[in-house]
Amino acid sequence: MTKTFIRVVAMVTLAIGVAAVAQDADEAESRQEFRNLDRAVQTLKKDVLDLNRDLFMLEEELLFPANSQVAFFISMDVGAYFELDSVNIKIDGKEVANYLYTVREADALIRGGVHRVHMANLKTGEHELIAIFTGKGPHVRDYRRGATLSFTKGIGAKYVELEITDRVKKQQPEFVIKEWE
Amino acid sequence: MLSGTTSLTQAAQENIGPVSIEDPHYGEVLFYFYQEDFFPAIVRLLAAQDQAQFDDHAEEAELLLGGLFLSYGHHLRAAEIFERLLADNVAPNIRDRTWFFLAKIWYQRGYHDRAQEALSSIENELPVNLQREALMLRAQIAIDAGEYDRAISLLQDWQGDTEWASYAKFNIGVALVRSGRVDEARTLLDDLGHLNPFNEELTSLRDRANLALGFALLQDGQPYAAKAPLQRVRLEGPFSNKALLGVGWADAETKNFQRALVPWMELRGRDLLDSAVQESMLAIPYAMAKLDSISQAADHYLDAIEAFYEESARIDRTIGHINSGAMFDDFLLDDPLDGMGWYWRLEELPQGPAARYLFHLLASHEFQEGLKNYRDLNHLKRNLTGWQENIAVYANMIETRLEAYASRLPYVEDALASADLDGMVSRKLEFDATLGNIEETHDWLALATQPEFDMWEDISDLENTPALQASLPEAEEARDKIRLLKGVLQWQLERDFKDRLWRVKRDVRQAGEALVATQRSRRKIDETMRTEPQRLAELSDRVDGLTPRIEALQAQVAGALLEQHAFLQSIAVDELQAQKQRLETYTVQARFALAAIYDVSASFGDASQ
Repeated sequence: MTKTFIRVVAMVTLAIGVAAVAQDADEAESRQEFRNLDRAVQTLKKDVLDLNRDLFMLEEELLFPANSQVAFFISMDVGAYFELDSVNIKIDGKEVANYLYTVREADALIRGGVHRVHMANLKTGEHELIAIFTGKGPHVRDYRRGATLSFTKGIGAKYVELEITDRVKKQQPEFVIKEWE
Repeated sequence: MLSGTTSLTQAAQENIGPVSIEDPHYGEVLFYFYQEDFFPAIVRLLAAQDQAQFDDHAEEAELLLGGLFLSYGHHLRAAEIFERLLADNVAPNIRDRTWFFLAKIWYQRGYHDRAQEALSSIENELPVNLQREALMLRAQIAIDAGEYDRAISLLQDWQGDTEWASYAKFNIGVALVRSGRVDEARTLLDDLGHLNPFNEELTSLRDRANLALGFALLQDGQPYAAKAPLQRVRLEGPFSNKALLGVGWADAETKNFQRALVPWMELRGRDLLDSAVQESMLAIPYAMAKLDSISQAADHYLDAIEAFYEESARIDRTIGHINSGAMFDDFLLDDPLDGMGWYWRLEELPQGPAARYLFHLLASHEFQEGLKNYRDLNHLKRNLTGWQENIAVYANMIETRLEAYASRLPYVEDALASADLDGMVSRKLEFDATLGNIEETHDWLALATQPEFDMWEDISDLENTPALQASLPEAEEARDKIRLLKGVLQWQLERDFKDRLWRVKRDVRQAGEALVATQRSRRKIDETMRTEPQRLAELSDRVDGLTPRIEALQAQVAGALLEQHAFLQSIAVDELQAQKQRLETYTVQARFALAAIYDVSASFGDASQ
């Protein structure tokens, strides 16, 4: 009985050994197949990214032609005195954006990210921007503050950045508006 | 590979470093990058680069793009960028870290040769935490290539009392066992098997070390020595089944079958899917036979054969379910697909018949990577579908604009034709000349207001009235009054002349400026009339060119999805087939053993007769 069992075990071991060799070959084949597929996926990703780039540019040029384009950005510098919840933007008295920030987005702003909160088509000439920031101010109190800017829209695209900075002396946040042509 | 997890995103972000943002477009890319939304970040960065918007951040942008591709799992393109960029003037520490990240991704993706090349490109010392990981990576590549001595030499001098040290010890131990140097491995693994772990990861590592050592000693013919490490494995843990099986074999090897039955019987109640549990179903009757409980042994073999048969049938049904094709879509059912890239990992299988069999596939590198690609392809598919809808809208929009332009053009042309700008310019020039004459001749009367001028005319008319020419005292008085009036009026006009001249000149200048602005606007209108159809036609051409690109990529993505699906399906089915094969092997083994028992029983029967 014992001898028989040992024979069986030996046979099984042999079978498993053969299977293992076959498995190695299968694994090599599978790995090669994975690599081929992976390369194909990588190429596709590249092509789709390039396509997205072209579509993104087309979309922008079509919806916001350079001669009327104005982009509004939100950024934060340090942000120790202000925890941003939302931004409300009015242009020439008309509300155009009311954006509520997620924790992830607010964190990205604190780390140096800049959020394009609104794009608009404006005629050349004078315009007025009113931005209202709400969030938590010093001592975690509800905080709401507005900033206004009269700006001139010229012929080319215009960028307006609403920057939240810290005024260390007063231990208060400060809202600064920058313009780029 | 056994290794701690380091957030590559974090490391890549450290690689980018803190930057003072001088350009909102660059900051916008960072906004998405910091949220680990790599796809939109890359698209914006590529678009901004194409439009040359990064005046202040051109180099950082290229480095960031490399980091983004790394994070996105597009290692080939990341490598291209880094190789090009880092060949130039990038700080060595950034370059070295970049090579390290590339090595890690290539290893993960199964490109061991490229991973090795990348590690060889590191010229200076990495930061300490990365140094450890790089060393482990080198050693693991050597182990995978069967170069155990090299792996040992790499890890031999590893110092430190961190998790990394434990991983290093374990990897050396495994490498030593594989090269047949069990005694050398014993010291290392035994040491590791006694460690006092401070977290679950290390506890699991301790179990693995004890298990590896126990089986190495068993294979080396040292059952007594094998038992102790095997008994140190936790009774309720991922390695307990194998450890219990091993403890039983250690006792069986020393002919202590009664004791061997204890751990094996414990295994009987456990999940039959585990190969250790399956093997225990053969081991139990084997031990019983050894203890001369032939009848019980035969019963257990029969139970095993039946259990294997049922399990095998269940596997067949699961294979059928997988082949029906729905399973992998279930995997992604609850996944929002909002993030793509290297970090995504499926943590749990969806509920279903396949989950039980494929659970440990989750730990398999190729399965996870394949699933990640499958998920990314689904994201690409969704992205392309979205664009396909949008591009149709854009095509309509351009068409509408062209129609609107064509319909408004005649009105605009009429309005422009009726506005005689050239005439206005001529009039303005005439006016300039007249004003010049007035100033030169000090023609104060020319700047009189209409009432003043009328008054002047009236006075002049009165002055020339014949009745007032008579030499009468009344006429003389009237003439004096007229002279006085005229003198006063002239005095007033001369007094106001400079002021009036200044005002008229100012008004003329303003009119001139307005005329220039009007001319400029007119030129803009002419320019727009000339370029707008051209611009719209160009946009239309771009839309026309992009539409087939979207469609072609949709077809390619659909094809790749099918292939990826088939690949994942084949991995899963192969896994199940292997499980089935093992069950069949065990069944054959049980049948042989059962036959042997019947032989022996028959022999005893013949002998007794």
